[in-house]
Amino acid sequence: MSDKLVAAQVRHYPPGDLAVWILIMAELLVFALFFAAYGFTRMGHVALFNQYQATLDRTAAVANTLALITASYFVVRAVAAIREGNSRHSARWLWAGVGMGVLFLFIKGGEYAEHLSHGINLSTNTFYMFYLSLTFFHFMHVIVGVIVLVILAVKVGQGRYSAAEHADVESGASYWHMVDLVWLILFPLVYVMH
Amino acid sequence: MQYKSQAVAKLYFIAAIGLFVGQILFGVILGLQYVIGDFLFPEIPFNVARMVHTNLLIVWLLFGFMGAAYYLVPEEAERELVSPGLAVLMFWVFLIAGALTILGYLLVPYSGLAQMTGNDLLPTMGREFLEQPTITKIGIVVVALAFLYNIGMTILSGRKTVVNLVLLIGLVGLAVFFLFSFYNPDNLVKDKYYWWWVVHLWVEGVWELILGSILAFVLIKTTGVDREVIEKWLYVIIAMTLITGIIGTGHHYYWIGTPDYWQWWGSVFSAMEPIPFFMMTVFAFNMVNRRRRNHPNKAAVLWALGTAVMAFLGAGVWGFLHTLAPVNYYTHGTQITAAHGHMAFYGAYVMIVLTMISYAMPMLRGRKAASSNRSQVLEMWSFWLMTVSMVFITLFLTGAGILQTYLQRYSDTPLPFMVVQEKIELFYWMREVAGVVFLIGLLVYIASFFVGTKEPEVVLEQTDA
Amino acid sequence: MDSQTRAWLRPCTWTWLVMVCLTLVTWLLGVSGAQGLWVALLVLGFALLKGQLVGDWFMGLHGVSGFWRWVVSLWLLLVGSLVSIAFVISSGVLN
Ligand code: HEM
Ligand code: HEM
Ligand SMILES: [Fe+2]
Repeated sequence: MSDKLVAAQVRHYPPGDLAVWILIMAELLVFALFFAAYGFTRMGHVALFNQYQATLDRTAAVANTLALITASYFVVRAVAAIREGNSRHSARWLWAGVGMGVLFLFIKGGEYAEHLSHGINLSTNTFYMFYLSLTFFHFMHVIVGVIVLVILAVKVGQGRYSAAEHADVESGASYWHMVDLVWLILFPLVYVMH
Repeated sequence: MQYKSQAVAKLYFIAAIGLFVGQILFGVILGLQYVIGDFLFPEIPFNVARMVHTNLLIVWLLFGFMGAAYYLVPEEAERELVSPGLAVLMFWVFLIAGALTILGYLLVPYSGLAQMTGNDLLPTMGREFLEQPTITKIGIVVVALAFLYNIGMTILSGRKTVVNLVLLIGLVGLAVFFLFSFYNPDNLVKDKYYWWWVVHLWVEGVWELILGSILAFVLIKTTGVDREVIEKWLYVIIAMTLITGIIGTGHHYYWIGTPDYWQWWGSVFSAMEPIPFFMMTVFAFNMVNRRRRNHPNKAAVLWALGTAVMAFLGAGVWGFLHTLAPVNYYTHGTQITAAHGHMAFYGAYVMIVLTMISYAMPMLRGRKAASSNRSQVLEMWSFWLMTVSMVFITLFLTGAGILQTYLQRYSDTPLPFMVVQEKIELFYWMREVAGVVFLIGLLVYIASFFVGTKEPEVVLEQTDA
Repeated sequence: MDSQTRAWLRPCTWTWLVMVCLTLVTWLLGVSGAQGLWVALLVLGFALLKGQLVGDWFMGLHGVSGFWRWVVSLWLLLVGSLVSIAFVISSGVLN
């Protein structure tokens, strides 16, 4: 058993399909550009950014951070389960991940509804432009991620993967962790740091 | 050639090459009019020649794409085309409609053409690239529908491969976005806004899918690398294309009256657009290096690699050059744009069509896999003549563009447009010389189809690994 | 390893717990009204740490060698430095 562990530890490629990792890199790069743009634009409008950042719902954002972290954790467990060939557990963890993802969408959707009811949109001011663009672009990724997880959960539930053959699950999981990773930076950047 | 119905591709390819010649002739005329303003005036005014040049480009590329699809789809789907007869019929419809339209441009004043063709009923004319009379546009839609039916049914009822599906998505997208050419709002901002849905979402969206799938097909055939490997690359490339290209449309929304946030969205997303083009270059070279066999059609492999490099240079590098809002603020609509437009169109779409023609034509003309050595050598000469002269056209226009931007928009004492144009005339002359070399390259290309036809084809020992 | 030697918490569970704590601390800093550049940088530091944990233990990069081992770290480094530079400059401590 421990031989296997050692063997598994000298991999040269991350889990899942390499193609997905190239995609992940490219996506991370897009977000990095946006984060940098936020930071550097803020330099010219510090007071404005601080003023409107204070209007955001931080508690909702913290809840959402916890939701995504937890979703990611569930997905890790799902991958661990399928690596042991346990499809039933794996599917259950994946559905739990889906639940957390949907919770995120609900909370964030609530925030958007609140902004909308105040007539806030992309043209309101530079801060809101960035806040809405960044979070909405991320929101779209959560939607895609949830869809990926649902498809995986269904297929895992049907027993289509095994301990030997589960690259799709690892690919989908990696994508989901990327969505989580981006939020981990996004959250302090637009909600907290001032 | 494994399927009889693939033969219809030949018609499309021949028409494409014919119209290509027309396009370049008008390019050379335009280039001369840039320096000798009344050349051929009043017979062929600049605006008419320009319209002919750009419309012929689009139409021959469409012929090329359709020919490529008719060749590639049966082979991938492992079945005959659903209806070769329909493909031939649509060929003639499209060719005649195209010819009449071009004749209309040349023989009738544009406003007269608009009146004759009932533009008042559904006004769609008068916008760059979409100058065609409304009935021509309707004709294009009909041809596209028949084409999609033919291709789509063949794909859906045959073996489904990633190459075929990506190609189909690209072609459907091409048709769908063309529908926006019928939407012509009075509001100038909206007009421009949707105009880009045709122009940008074509070349930086769905056409890239067509490009990717044709390139993948030719690489599968010429390198013998596993299909799975090539398909994986194709997936990632199209995903990146769509992620960056769709919102990347924003790089045309900086100064047309659209909201400010487009300056950010357009800059960030379009700055990423070179990535899929870069991946295509890595992809092509990687596959050729990992090839399992040497294909006797060396010219086709050269075209394929050339496409990957030139598309990256023209679209990726020259596109990036002016895509960030603070740069575009100065360069918008200058010769920098023309430099980029030329190299991108040539490198990506002209070259991919020529790649496909180069690969398929020997089979369509009854050879086993490749032309004779003499023919291939000549074809490779034409490759270099056209490609190098296009590089020079691009460099001269870039030089002109930098000077123009500086003198007209950046210096402390900006000069008026026409004064600047006179100062950069030398660059226009050099562009014209390069353009003539391009035309010669094209003639060499055509000659390559007629030399060595009786000589035996190139054969290489097949060393399957 | 069998259930006997299995640690009472998996590494991923530890990771999750640490991240939850860091998130709550970030939140407390937010609501406490703590101000200033150092608070901002601290919050950013927590976020980068969390990102590293996600990369290592969730994405599984700790067991990979070569370039891919460092993709997430490099990304965090890039984002972290750009954002810190922007915040340091705009805070005016350099003047
Ligand atoms: C094969 C792909 C491409 C083709 C065929 C192409 C072609 C063109 C053409 C013909 C124009 C001029 C449109 C007009 O105003 O009449 C244009 C404009 C432009 N292209 Fe591309 N392009 C491609 C890819 C790209 C990429 C990847 C980028 C960015 C990285 C880019 C950036 C731009 C920009 C910023 C403009 C506007 C220039 C201005 O403001 O005048 N293009 N392109
Ligand atoms: C395959 C080769 C060629 C391609 C793909 C091509 C493509 C194009 C495109 C897309 C445009 C519109 C550009 C824009 O909207 O900014 C254009 C315009 C033009 N082209 Fe070409 N072209 C080619 C060859 C040539 C050659 C050989 C010449 C002449 C020497 C030429 C001269 C011109 C001129 C003068 C214009 C008008 C520019 C303006 O309005 O300022 N082209 N061409
Ligand atoms: Fe564009």
